[in-house]
Amino acid sequence: MEHQTGLRVESVSRHFSGVVAVDDVSLALAPGETLALVGPNGAGKSTLIQLMSGVDRISSGRIFLNGRRIDRLPPERIARLGLGRSFQTSRVFPALSVWDSVMLGTQANLLSGGHGRILANAAHEVLATLMGTPGWRRRVEQQEHIVRETLQLFGDRLWPRRDQPAFSLSYANRRRLEIARVLAAQPDYILLDEPAAGMNPTETGELTDLLLTLRQQWPQLGILVVEHKLSLVRKVADRVIVLNQGRVLAEGEPDHALDHPEVVEAYLGRQRRSGSSDAHLG
Amino acid sequence: MIELFLSQILNGLAIGQVYALIALGFSLVFGVSNLINFAQGALFMLGAFFAFTGVTFFGLPLWLAAVASVVLVSLLGMALEGVALRPLTNGPYIAPVLSTLAISIIVDQLAEIIWSPEGRSFPSPFEEVTFYVGSAYFTSTDILIFVFGGLSALALTWFLKYSWMGRTVRATAQDRDAAAQLGVRTDDVRRLAFALAGALGAISGILVALYFKSVFPQMGMPFALKGFAAALLGGLTSIPGAVLGGMLLGVVETLASAYVGEGFRDLVAFSLLLVFLLFRPQGLLGDRRLDALGGAGGASGPMPSTSLLASASSQRAAHRIWDLPPWGFLLAGAVLAVLPFVTQNAYLLQAVVYAMIFAMLSASVSLVSGSMGVLSIGHAAFYGVGAYSVAVLGHTWGWPAEFALPAAVVITALVAAVAALPLYKLSGHTAALGTLAIGQIGFLVFMTWLPVTRGPMGFLNIPAPVFDFLGGLRLSTVGQKYWLVALVAAVGLFLVQRLVDSDIGRVWRGMREDRLASHAAGIPVRRYLLMGFAVSGALAGAAGGLFSYVQSVISPDSFNVQASLLILTMAVLGGLGNLTGAALAGFLLAIVPELLRPFAEWRMIVYGAILLLMLRWRPQGLLGAR
Repeated sequence: MEHQTGLRVESVSRHFSGVVAVDDVSLALAPGETLALVGPNGAGKSTLIQLMSGVDRISSGRIFLNGRRIDRLPPERIARLGLGRSFQTSRVFPALSVWDSVMLGTQANLLSGGHGRILANAAHEVLATLMGTPGWRRRVEQQEHIVRETLQLFGDRLWPRRDQPAFSLSYANRRRLEIARVLAAQPDYILLDEPAAGMNPTETGELTDLLLTLRQQWPQLGILVVEHKLSLVRKVADRVIVLNQGRVLAEGEPDHALDHPEVVEAYLGRQRRSGSSDAHLG
Repeated sequence: MIELFLSQILNGLAIGQVYALIALGFSLVFGVSNLINFAQGALFMLGAFFAFTGVTFFGLPLWLAAVASVVLVSLLGMALEGVALRPLTNGPYIAPVLSTLAISIIVDQLAEIIWSPEGRSFPSPFEEVTFYVGSAYFTSTDILIFVFGGLSALALTWFLKYSWMGRTVRATAQDRDAAAQLGVRTDDVRRLAFALAGALGAISGILVALYFKSVFPQMGMPFALKGFAAALLGGLTSIPGAVLGGMLLGVVETLASAYVGEGFRDLVAFSLLLVFLLFRPQGLLGDRRLDALGGAGGASGPMPSTSLLASASSQRAAHRIWDLPPWGFLLAGAVLAVLPFVTQNAYLLQAVVYAMIFAMLSASVSLVSGSMGVLSIGHAAFYGVGAYSVAVLGHTWGWPAEFALPAAVVITALVAAVAALPLYKLSGHTAALGTLAIGQIGFLVFMTWLPVTRGPMGFLNIPAPVFDFLGGLRLSTVGQKYWLVALVAAVGLFLVQRLVDSDIGRVWRGMREDRLASHAAGIPVRRYLLMGFAVSGALAGAAGGLFSYVQSVISPDSFNVQASLLILTMAVLGGLGNLTGAALAGFLLAIVPELLRPFAEWRMIVYGAILLLMLRWRPQGLLGAR
């Protein structure tokens, strides 16, 4: 079981001095799959992402990435193993330019020349940089090429603004920028924490299209998305897991899971009348 | 044996009581305004001197002079808040911190001008009595300090805990915005905190004056540093923690002084601090809200950033950046190298040599504090390591310059990288205080490691640089050494600018902007932190080595905390992270006072004033922070 590919969370819990934020949750994300994590505020969705990415430590349970146990690793190691993430409030290196902000996403690959361990030692890196050796320059250019392609994925939202500081971007563009940085690292799996929060319907539509494009271009990419906007979830997700009060409430195909009576009750606090839509949820 | 031990403990508790009072002043201000108040030492010193003047000049009885001094210094504390903090509320987080620094520089120097730099004896109001319990002893002064210090701490605790005003202080410390929304006048609370800090400063100043029976204008800094250390040990935001930290520090350093040697008193104190920063950065009783310079808000606001230059409004204005490409430094060096052909005026050449050395130092700080965002208040230690390396290798071991100078560079780079290790887990204020501790430890090692550094005496007659590979070429005159300095400075700055412009520089700036996002993006943060410190250390080490060669005489006094503050000031004025700005500011601030020797005692005051104005009107520095 431990040699399976994919991201596996096995009965993970997280307590904050008595408060149980995540309670015995198990889930799996296969390569190429898009999994949506939904649930009311405080359900433990973001905490779960913090745990998977190593920013926060689990209280009990185990997490595996491609068969390798990662729940004791620091976040930078997890990221280098191919698990990228975005934050609920976008973290974009405010004073850096859009270009630099995305370039930082490629730094680990620049050092390793691919996936996993750091290969270039620090002295080599400094000397190669100072001398501008052709080998090192080629590696940098390779990453620059990836960044250019990644920025262009977002149409003319980011590319024309590549020399502007990140703090000058609009809220929605900062979200795009963060996703671009995550993608530039060429991860195997990405965790997106409410990527469409604060976006208007047009922008949400664009993001939906972007995610669909990603699925098409990188069929092996596993995506876990935490999202409140169910229109997006219904369009991109293969599977939905509904969390409530730290526990898995329902799991299944989007239409099936989201219309589960208990799920509706968890969101709305009562049964839904037949025939009404979930438009109020975006 | 055990009696001596007990006496030392009692003694340590008495001096610890003083540290506790200073630490309380810090903690109050820090809690309410999230600001490290570097002027606390100045308030402390003024308290002692006002009481001194009251007794000796106006002939007041001590108690009256003391009360008057406490009142006056409290008012000054409030004035300090108005000058240092209020105008900078919406500025970058770093601005108020540096502005208290500027004010402390100004006040310390003014005190030297008003009361003369020499120490004065403080009249003791009563005959000192020594009490014996068995064979453990303590003096009446110990009791006086203990009683007054303890009463002040208790009174403060009572005030904060049970009075309405105290409650508003605690509420503001916990959440300023929420307190303001509930109708607490947070501006008044802040003023109150500064007034209390002033009162505590004055009381501790007077007690110290009684303890040592003397006052001197430089007394502020050493005690302020101990106060910082005590506050950090206790947890920086905790009132009982500050008292506990002060006591702990007092006892530990008194024991160190008794059983290891008098010279080790401070060394042990600051090493203790560093150990704490390493293993328990939140202190004995503190919490973990020290995550960023802007407090909790900085790291999790609407636009998260850990940058020193971010501000509470989380809005940032774009500003222009002027900086040279790497080869610009080679060009500047080449232009400066022409000077000895134009003039052989040794005085002028010497001034330009120092200016170039300070340009390197300032750039070195700008790299750490600007690009990487670790406010460095201890860089003089690295400068000193370079200087002592050349002194030891060149003088004691007789190495030629082509080995001694590069060795100094490498040694300093290694020392800086090792020194950066404890800073890895710290951020914002605690990192800044960590560098302060590193700087102090460096200085104290220069003072106490007699077999190698020769202690306070330092080195005389460091030989002029000789190059064996160049047929024993010997640079003996200032004009000849000038070229060596110009060459090393130009090449050094060229190389460092290349790094700052490269991917490595980008990672440094990324770590500054958002440490957490850097981790999450898979960047090996520790590697780049150590690398940055090593590069910065190499530059500072080169500057120190050149200083040894040019000066041929060195002593620890060139590498004290004042030197660190001076270099930091230069880096800030140039624009943090902007090497061109730093080098220019370092060059100008070093050369102008050399040419205006008659006004030497006003020099630091002018620096302080420039810094203050700059923070108010152009916080991004002369050429724009990068």
